Amino acid sequence: MRNPLIKRLPRELKSEFGKYLVIFLFFIMVIGFVSGFLVTSASLQSEFHETFETYNIEHGNFELFYEADEALIETLEKEDVTLYENFYIEKDTKDFESTLRMFKKRGDVNRECVLEGELPTKQGEIAIDRVYAQNNGVAIGDTLKVGFKELKVTGYVALPDYSTMLSSPSDMMFDANMFGVGIVTEETFDNFGKGGFHYSYSWKYDEEPKDDAEAKNLSEEFLEMLAEHAMVVEYIPEYANMAIHFAGNDLGNDYMVIMVFLYIVVAIIAFIFAITTNNTIAKEATVIGTLRASGYSKGELLRHYMTMPVLVTLFSALIGNVLGYTYFRTVAEDMYLASYSLTRYDVLWNADAFVKTTVVPVILMVVINYVILAYKLRLSPLRFIRRDLSTRQKKKAIRLNTKIGIMQRFRMRIIFQNMPNYIMIFVGIFFANIILLLGIAFPSLLHKYEDDITDNMICDYQYILKAPADTEVEDAEQYCAGSLTYVAESGQEEDATLFGIIPDSQYIDIELENDNVYISDAFSEKYHIAEGDTIELKEFGGKTYRFHVDGIYHYPSSLAVFMSKEYFNKTFDYEEDYYSGYFSNTEIDDIDEMYIATQITVSDMTKTSRQLIDSMGSMMDMLFLFGVVMFMLIIYLLSKIIIEKNAQSISMTKILGYTNGEIGGLYIMSTTIVVILSMLVTLPLVDKLMEYACKIMLSTFSGWFPYYVPSYAYIAVVAAGILSYAVIAFIQFRKVKKVPMDMALKNVE
Amino acid sequence: MFLEISNIKKSFGEGESKTEVLKGIDVGIEKGEICVLLGPSGSGKSTLLNIIGGIDQADSGYISINGEKTADMNEKTLTLYRRKHLGYIFQMYNLIPNLNIKENIEVGAYLSDNPLDVDELLHTLGLYEHRHKLPNQLSGGQQQRTAIGRAIVKNPDILLCDEPTGALDYNTSKEILKLIEEVNQKYGNTVVMVTHNDAIKDMADRVIKLRDGMIRKNYVNETKTPAVELDW
Repeated sequence: MRNPLIKRLPRELKSEFGKYLVIFLFFIMVIGFVSGFLVTSASLQSEFHETFETYNIEHGNFELFYEADEALIETLEKEDVTLYENFYIEKDTKDFESTLRMFKKRGDVNRECVLEGELPTKQGEIAIDRVYAQNNGVAIGDTLKVGFKELKVTGYVALPDYSTMLSSPSDMMFDANMFGVGIVTEETFDNFGKGGFHYSYSWKYDEEPKDDAEAKNLSEEFLEMLAEHAMVVEYIPEYANMAIHFAGNDLGNDYMVIMVFLYIVVAIIAFIFAITTNNTIAKEATVIGTLRASGYSKGELLRHYMTMPVLVTLFSALIGNVLGYTYFRTVAEDMYLASYSLTRYDVLWNADAFVKTTVVPVILMVVINYVILAYKLRLSPLRFIRRDLSTRQKKKAIRLNTKIGIMQRFRMRIIFQNMPNYIMIFVGIFFANIILLLGIAFPSLLHKYEDDITDNMICDYQYILKAPADTEVEDAEQYCAGSLTYVAESGQEEDATLFGIIPDSQYIDIELENDNVYISDAFSEKYHIAEGDTIELKEFGGKTYRFHVDGIYHYPSSLAVFMSKEYFNKTFDYEEDYYSGYFSNTEIDDIDEMYIATQITVSDMTKTSRQLIDSMGSMMDMLFLFGVVMFMLIIYLLSKIIIEKNAQSISMTKILGYTNGEIGGLYIMSTTIVVILSMLVTLPLVDKLMEYACKIMLSTFSGWFPYYVPSYAYIAVVAAGILSYAVIAFIQFRKVKKVPMDMALKNVE
Repeated sequence: MFLEISNIKKSFGEGESKTEVLKGIDVGIEKGEICVLLGPSGSGKSTLLNIIGGIDQADSGYISINGEKTADMNEKTLTLYRRKHLGYIFQMYNLIPNLNIKENIEVGAYLSDNPLDVDELLHTLGLYEHRHKLPNQLSGGQQQRTAIGRAIVKNPDILLCDEPTGALDYNTSKEILKLIEEVNQKYGNTVVMVTHNDAIKDMADRVIKLRDGMIRKNYVNETKTPAVELDW
């Protein structure tokens, strides 16, 4: 015969329908979201790894100042490498503000993947990167004004060496708004002339390096050789090229964070279930005692009480997974594909994701509930019949100072009585606050970064020249610029920009004498370099320079070193009057375009924050909403238990003549105090944790931006918490009002 | 008449399952009296007590204390009425389990503008040395004494006792009855006590016998026996 207790389950579901429904929907939402992410990221990752072979990705690329002649190519290819021309032209678009890097149709390496439409076949046609096109609202068939030419867009492509839209290895962040790539026909390419032309080459080793260590050795040897024979402008081996690898790394990065997040949420809900069931066991103690006395085993009752939490988890996980492969997959896909230019991919069945989003949550639910409920059900049948369930209650009550008013002491007793609930509320608020603060603070952190950069731009128009060229523009100021690599103690390498500035510069306010060197505060903060330290910077080919840091200059955007122009030229063996660019607040229009290598504008400097806002903005809103839901759910479920557990006492206080307001002041105010205290205590902890996590995350990027949370973000988190709690408190107050007085008349103690 | 009960009728259920629990109760109780409502199970005595206490409502008739009719009161005024005039003692004590003995009594004291001294009361009740204990650390008799303390600390006009000795043994029951008697004598509260124990009627000033929702007997006890001398 089937266990007749099973018949209680539908009734239990009916009587606690609201509780099970909110948990069920919450789980579906969380598991669906996580499953969607795992399925999408694993499918994309699998495709990403295949692109190396499918699209024959280079082993590295470099840019020369001049085109390599046959002899140089022959010399270089003696190093067991094959070189491929990968020349490109960079032009500004006229319809919207961006720089477009155009390549000829690719041949053997870095083959393009056509995602929609087709490759250009005629002069005046172009296929552009999908993300760049979508970000700038360019449709297939549209005409794009690039430089002085008009190009018709024939299709969307993904270039495997630009899966992340980084225009240079020193870029801190990709930017698929202001920077894009495209493919044109050879004819179109040649028609652009030499303005914005870059002699870029890709190379492939004849033999594939076994690992990154070997690739590093090979690349260092190759660079040494290259530097000996040519003027190298840019050099980036494949293993270090974030334009190739960043997307793949990011797909993996999210995985751990999302899994930890899922299991924390499941564990919190499992504890809530266990606390709720504990309360039910206390209510049904005499029934349990009678059943045990009649021969029901502890195991049978344990299984009975665990059934609902496990079933809710299992069904919500299954439905969540179905949604993970359908709705949430597209959500995750939209988020990834809004950031990265990935090639075509197929959705793969992911057994691992299924186990992690269904089996593991169910196991977690079983284990947590088993441990807590088995402990509760360990007592003898007689003790259940006598309602003598807790050994702790036999101990003396905590003494409270009687000078404290009875109402305050009453509240304190409620808090002591419900400590497990309140600990879970604390933990829940801690995690909800992480989510809320992240949702609110992250966009403001980026906006602040953007403002900081804008406020601290050296000038409105910063030019880097290919060769010195004179200008008549009055406020143009010559400077020298170079790039060297800083190698941190951790082995992390990062490019730093060196500025040589004239005395009494109107753009950089530092008094530099002789061999004085200042570094940017971004440099100082990121690598913990203080005034008085010595830094070592390395150039391509291995020559190193040591500089004593005489001061820190407020320049928050990037790693920069400032010295006098005279010292710069002396250090790098340039003529005394050499310069390589202009700072100016007026646009310089009297220099031939062919002399200008790059023009740095505000939008160049703020692309990091812009891209992050674009790719993560909607996610942050979602996170915020999720944080509010989680906050409300946890507090609702746990405060509901407190009211239910104390229904008898609430009823009695009503009989004594307490008003609903006074009773609310006792039972709801206790929760209010815990909620407010939890918010006040957890917020600084969350802040520290976020700062730590952000610093770790930001240190993996090139460049730096300081951790910053505006004070209104804390206020907003507290306000969101208080408003959410107010809704819950209102619901619980109605519950208190509904507790009938005759409940105390039932002979239940 | 201090407490006037006029034509109280009360039924539960509807249609065929409708049961008339009180079929028109008329009774008056003087201030300071101990009134025992006596009757077997189902006679309607607890229902009547709950109506007096404002926990339940009569279908018709009214309760009046010092001229104030409870039927005319809204929820707020009824709460105030309980707060000002009534003290309640139940068979199962109904103490607040997470408050200690003293705090349970203070919960009652909080409601009064002029409460009795809690420590003095604890001494009177013989609970002073147990004041820091939780209810479940005490015997049934001690818990019931705490419940009495909670009820009388606000010095209510009326003390409503619903089978106050129902869960206690003989000796403890007598102790509790003695305490109720002492309280009545010391503070002059009107006591309305529901019981099915016939022997208890002897300590009452007034005895009301109920059966099937009707008053079978209502008389003033001319030969009161002190609680300590009761026997059953």
